[in-house]
Amino acid sequence: MNKVLIVDDDVDILTLVKMTLTIHGFDVAVLSRWENIDNTIVNFEPDLILLDVSLAGADGREICKRIKSKQDTQHIPVILFSANIEMEKSIGDCKAQAFISKPYELSNFLQTIRSHITATRGNHSDN
Amino acid sequence: MISIRNISIRNKLVLMQVFTSVLVLGIFLVAFIITDIRSYKERRVKSLTSLAHVVGLNSESALFFQFQDEAREILQDLKNVLPEIVYADIVDAKGNTFASYKSPRADSFKLQRLTPDKLWVIEGNQLLVVDDMVKDGERIGKVMLQIEMTELTAVKKSKYSMGAILLFASTCFAFIIAFAVQPYISKRLLYLVNIMKKERTTGDYDVTIVDNGKDEISTLVQAYNKLMLQIKESQQRKDEFIGIASHELKTPLTSVKGYLDLLETVEDKQPNKQFVRKALESTHKLERLIKDLLDVSKIQSGQLSLNVSEFDIYELIDETIASSQMVSATHQIVREESSEAKQMIYADRQKIEQVLINLISNAIKYSPSENEVIIGTKKTDTELIVRVRDFGIGIPQEEIQDIFERFYRTKGSSVHISGFGLGLYICRDILKRHDGKIWVERESQGTSFYFSLPLQTNAQLMMPESVQEGGLALKYDDV
Repeated sequence: MNKVLIVDDDVDILTLVKMTLTIHGFDVAVLSRWENIDNTIVNFEPDLILLDVSLAGADGREICKRIKSKQDTQHIPVILFSANIEMEKSIGDCKAQAFISKPYELSNFLQTIRSHITATRGNHSDN
Repeated sequence: MISIRNISIRNKLVLMQVFTSVLVLGIFLVAFIITDIRSYKERRVKSLTSLAHVVGLNSESALFFQFQDEAREILQDLKNVLPEIVYADIVDAKGNTFASYKSPRADSFKLQRLTPDKLWVIEGNQLLVVDDMVKDGERIGKVMLQIEMTELTAVKKSKYSMGAILLFASTCFAFIIAFAVQPYISKRLLYLVNIMKKERTTGDYDVTIVDNGKDEISTLVQAYNKLMLQIKESQQRKDEFIGIASHELKTPLTSVKGYLDLLETVEDKQPNKQFVRKALESTHKLERLIKDLLDVSKIQSGQLSLNVSEFDIYELIDETIASSQMVSATHQIVREESSEAKQMIYADRQKIEQVLINLISNAIKYSPSENEVIIGTKKTDTELIVRVRDFGIGIPQEEIQDIFERFYRTKGSSVHISGFGLGLYICRDILKRHDGKIWVERESQGTSFYFSLPLQTNAQLMMPESVQEGGLALKYDDV
């Protein structure tokens, strides 16, 4: 089962995305406090991280950069998640794989997540 | 007749200066010429009177002893002293002519009328002086001399022509000086007017005019700067508000929409599923409105940037038609056949799609009782033109100019049309940034919206936003 870790400080959104992805067959872990992200990644071993950009006390893009700079986490695809569509421009900067805007279109949302999981899987098995 | 109000300030200043200098100089010249001619006449009167006096003294004894020949000789001799002499008479106390002389070239009339208290008279260029001959306190007769002031005409002519030349030359000088001096006032005013015009058309109030003077124009400029700063600040506050508000609106909307999506996935029963669909449609509309508001605040703050790539516009049109068709069951969206299968252009795909969606949804919205919208394309040498034609309620002629403005919504419509009136404003801005155009034409039934995009790659499109936009502080030298 594909494992997705969602990081968002808005509990409402967190619950919603968790339910949506669970219904569509994903194994979901949620995190409302970004400070615990390192532990969660180690314990949960997600196939993809959906990361809110404007977190309380931190910038999701910085967290993404950190994930991508670590040897043991850099292979995990990160999708930035924000209501501010301008954030799409910074995905290259922080090496995120994609951007999903809030509110999202359900079919696009699922498709983006699925495509990035398979893409990484493919690359991973090639390596 | 040209009204003075309609003359530009530059020409007004020039005309004012020239008029004043010509008027002043004209008065001065007329006064000068009149005085000059009068003093010439006075000189002649004076010299002729002295001559008459001398003649009187010399002919005193001749008159006393009644030597007419002697008196005549004296008068004859006058022509040697004064060639201009025409008539010379010596009259005795009774008023009878005692001796007289008449110049051979005397074709002019003889001046006769002379009031007793007046000792000289001028008529035309004829001057007559009378001098009494007095012996031992008794008036024994008088000498009357008439000359033709041949020089007078020439003197007058030369004065007049000198006056005319002076007036003409000084008018020219006045024009030159006025033209040279007027920019001192007009340039600053015209500059201000140009800036005002520019700001009115662009809506960009971020221009500070530098003017270091202390006169009224500087006060005007400072007041204007202050006013623009206030406008800019209030726009910024409004844009910030829109930005924050749209952002804050989006988060709960995400939640509403997401849960409705979930509900739609799990709900199978009718009419529940139908209700959820309806709710979803409305959230979709709400989302569009928020997006529009956000776009406008970005346009205003100059943050809207293009993400340019090369793509097939025909493919985009077909895709947009297909997705619009899914939303609208009431209208048939038809694409006219184009001669080519493919047309690559350089543009921001997402933004052009936004323009197309906007025009198509407008076409549907404003033709509630019709069922067709036609999309056509045309290619010229330099640009691609896309046309979106509806058969709806149309646009009144007087509104054509305004429909691309912010928050503009048609007034005369009897149909309720929802929306903020931002769509066309955003479209116009997007096309402007692409060096394209958007315009509208009225049809016998309905309306045609056109937009054009340049076909060649435009280097400017690739330029970063900060270079194209941003605050300016212009000086007069920059104009």
